[in-house]
Amino acid sequence: MKLAPTGEMTLGPFFPREFAQGANDLTMVEGKRAPGEVIEVSGRITQLDGRPLDNVVLEIWQADSRGRFNAPDFFGWGRAATDVEGVYRFRTIKPGAYDARLAHINFLLLYSGLMRQLQTVMFFELGADPVLDGVPAARRERLVARKSAGGWRFDIRLRGEGETPFFDD
Amino acid sequence: MPPSSPQFSLRRRDPATQSEGVVPGYAQTASRWPAEPLVRRPQTRSELTAPQNLSRRLPTLRGDLAGQGAKRALGQLIHLRARVVDEDGAPVPGAVVEVWHCNAAGKYIHPNDTNDAPADPNFYGAARLVAGDSGLIELRTIKPGAYPVPDTGGWWRPPHIHFSVWGRVWLSRLVTQMFFPGEPLNETDYILNAIRDPAARNRCIAHLAPTDKGPANALVYDYQLVVRGAGATPVLR
Repeated sequence: MKLAPTGEMTLGPFFPREFAQGANDLTMVEGKRAPGEVIEVSGRITQLDGRPLDNVVLEIWQADSRGRFNAPDFFGWGRAATDVEGVYRFRTIKPGAYDARLAHINFLLLYSGLMRQLQTVMFFELGADPVLDGVPAARRERLVARKSAGGWRFDIRLRGEGETPFFDD
Repeated sequence: MPPSSPQFSLRRRDPATQSEGVVPGYAQTASRWPAEPLVRRPQTRSELTAPQNLSRRLPTLRGDLAGQGAKRALGQLIHLRARVVDEDGAPVPGAVVEVWHCNAAGKYIHPNDTNDAPADPNFYGAARLVAGDSGLIELRTIKPGAYPVPDTGGWWRPPHIHFSVWGRVWLSRLVTQMFFPGEPLNETDYILNAIRDPAARNRCIAHLAPTDKGPANALVYDYQLVVRGAGATPVLR
């Protein structure tokens, strides 16, 4: 290794809307429906005082319904931004478990006031998983989405009571 | 757990060259950066893969932000040459790079920008490029202006250009800002100076190329974007 990675910096408040939109539906690949169960994943992002945050950019990366990455019939990357209510929304395929990993969706958050990206992971249930196992037991529940009529709900609290666990790599 | 490719490696972030946490002077960081320590996790297939051919989803947009003739954007014409490389210095061909910046008066195209500065009808400050075989992206644009940050008691952002870059794996994602040499506001910017190591901070400032070699009417700036990771791309599915 010769070079140090460039210093990450905040996304700032003015990420072009055009970039943030149009990539939050992962269910279609070149006009064809990806195999598997279609789900909606949504949630609200809040800060220390509980206020919902507008224009937070979220990117996700996940396996397909059979636990494969970069399968030809599924594109496992998506992006969304929160609205003025702090709510983001993805339509995707429920990922499959594989090897020792529980089914999960990787989340990356970018926002004004975050000096660099934050990473977290959404799970569908508690269980043995090498990433989830590293989270203090009392906080693991915060990474499990709740199933509701509208799909899976995964709220993210950046800081404060009930704070979402974030990862460092 | 799947073994990662033996050649590929990804070091943990160095706190001297990477900023995080609560930054004095930048109030929002105290409301948004987590109070709990970040959790260290193993690197599995999930973190060491990334979308292949992302440019299918995120195609090239506007290779020229400066425009021509009567449609020329106001401001100093610049030609930006940025190379995307990994920690070995190896180019990352096909890397998708998003670029955005404000106009010469310090105004963004974004509706949330409340700065009382004029819009430029000939300037739309957002482009998406795909790196060639040498990792190079080039953009003809204008030099952005400085602008005050509201409600901060005098914090002005120096001229800067935002970059969003995809490296080889999920953990290589890089979002950063590039600064210009010789700008007095560089010395007082809370974002640039949150990088503690002076050499690392200096690498966030572009180099002005010799003015007798490039295009006659534009200043050429060279820059390097180093994404995390080194060694052969892991082939994991």
